[in-house]
Amino acid sequence: MRFVLKTRYQQDINLFLHNGQRFWYALLALSVLAAPWFLDRFFLGELSLVFIYAIAGIGLMLLVGYTGLVSLGHAAFLAIGAYTHTWCLQRGVPLPLSILFAGLLSAVAGIMIGRPTLRMTGIYLAIATLAFAIVVEQLIAHWESVTGGYRGIVVPKPELFGYSLSGSWPFYYLCLACVTGCLFLALNLLRSPTGRALAAIRDSEISAQSMGINLANAKSTAFAISAAFTGVAGALFAHKLGYLSPDAFTLLTSIQLLLMVVVGGLGSLHGVFFGAIFIVLLPQLLAISRDLLPAAVAQLPGLEPGVFGLILVLVLIYEPLGMYGRWLKIRQYFSEFPLYRKSTHKRQKSYLRTERVR
Amino acid sequence: MSEALLSTHSLSLSFGGVRAVDDVSFEVMPGEVFSIIGPNGAGKTSLFNLISRLYDADSGDIVFDGQKISDIPAHRIAELGIARTFQNTELFEHETVLRNMLIGRHVHSRTNLFSELLFLPSVARQELAFRQVVEDVIDLLDLQSYRDQVIGSLPYGVRKMVEVARALCIQPKLLLLDEPSSGLNPEETEDVSHWIEDVSQDYGATVIMVEHDMSLVARASSRVMAVADGAVVAIGAPQDIQNHPEVRRAYLGD
Repeated sequence: MRFVLKTRYQQDINLFLHNGQRFWYALLALSVLAAPWFLDRFFLGELSLVFIYAIAGIGLMLLVGYTGLVSLGHAAFLAIGAYTHTWCLQRGVPLPLSILFAGLLSAVAGIMIGRPTLRMTGIYLAIATLAFAIVVEQLIAHWESVTGGYRGIVVPKPELFGYSLSGSWPFYYLCLACVTGCLFLALNLLRSPTGRALAAIRDSEISAQSMGINLANAKSTAFAISAAFTGVAGALFAHKLGYLSPDAFTLLTSIQLLLMVVVGGLGSLHGVFFGAIFIVLLPQLLAISRDLLPAAVAQLPGLEPGVFGLILVLVLIYEPLGMYGRWLKIRQYFSEFPLYRKSTHKRQKSYLRTERVR
Repeated sequence: MSEALLSTHSLSLSFGGVRAVDDVSFEVMPGEVFSIIGPNGAGKTSLFNLISRLYDADSGDIVFDGQKISDIPAHRIAELGIARTFQNTELFEHETVLRNMLIGRHVHSRTNLFSELLFLPSVARQELAFRQVVEDVIDLLDLQSYRDQVIGSLPYGVRKMVEVARALCIQPKLLLLDEPSSGLNPEETEDVSHWIEDVSQDYGATVIMVEHDMSLVARASSRVMAVADGAVVAIGAPQDIQNHPEVRRAYLGD
């Protein structure tokens, strides 16, 4: 076990707690930077997709895991980002600016859905965001002059200062740069007053209010930032797809995003990356299992959403902290090796909240 | 005596047919420890919720520090210098003690979202300054050993202390304590009267507390207000209130 001796307050606001962490994250950074030399085209593409999902996941995690607001409509922000980006590129806006616009417009859409749903939580908010996603999907389908409707539109190839980024190597590095940037911003947010305010709202709105947190502003901020990240992910996702149509941003996509943060582990940014890897691997696993299943089952149309839902429910029941929670337990098992007690992580029931003010 | 820090004028609140707070007027002077006692359901907590603006009064005014606060939003109360604790603790369960207390500094935050996203030096400086204040409060209430623990894992007595600590981080002029000794053992209750004294002397905060433990009330408070069925029965020094015939009737019946 490691005990960190803290001698300065600065140590608690640094991004890395100790040199051990610095070493492992440096190693991770080196390996993702060197990945194109070791991976073939297919796996490099999959890894880019992991990064894209991770960006959207960071956004959704800030909302669901840190602010405690559930959204079943994040496919809408992904779509808004993707279409805005494509629209800008078609008009010759440079790539970085266009990605920025995609994020900004999504943020505006985020405020538009965040503001009217301020008083909603839990299932009601989920329904409201779901409705919003359906509205956006219909809008895309019918606003043919901009979106091309169901015929779809072709996404221009990514280009930066005259260099094409459409190859698997440059695109991989583009995604890597974006995910690193977004992660940096999210980590900063979480260690500053606004990030703490979001966590306060998640745990107790009533006392957050008494601590001087303006619920309306903080929740709108959470929605805006969450949507902005997802919009940036949408912009990159557009290149990955190469061709946009409303079918790419359905309810299933929203559920997939939610599945990612829940399976990864609510309330941790590590969880986002675990979840993103899981989400990218899942279709491959499904494809493999299709071959093994009897034909009558394998050809069922609802197999994919069914499996998604099943996993979501199973994780919520058996491992509410997701893959990251499991990872922490495994790590603790080894660091305390012969002394690990299973009951350390036993969930406790709290009987204290009897007379809550509402 | 100087002007009152907090005063209410004919404050009333009903829930349907129940008069929870009925025409309550009182004044609290700066530096006082003012206790509110009364049987269950007398409207003590409702009164607190009115002052911290979680409830809207049906009629009457609340004046704090020369300013009428009965129509400002709840989240601006802390900014004016009123901090409170809750009867059953309302802490941020999944956060550490340190982060809970840092939230108490939220009203003093002067950084905007964009500087926070980039964690500019100004944000870092502010964080360090916040930490300094938090550490002072930790020293005052002896919470050193719990600093990095998550609230969910702490015993009830410590949680109550953390809640007070979080309120103190606001550096309030007025501290509202809702049953600080509920759920504590006699030894911890003894400590409560000591830190209330520390808080009112070292921090210069005025304290209003709702409390059932009469020995604590007698030891800690300078004045006591007894309420029953939403209305004020008597206001006065602790020993006068204890012997007041009306107060005895409210508790024991005729």
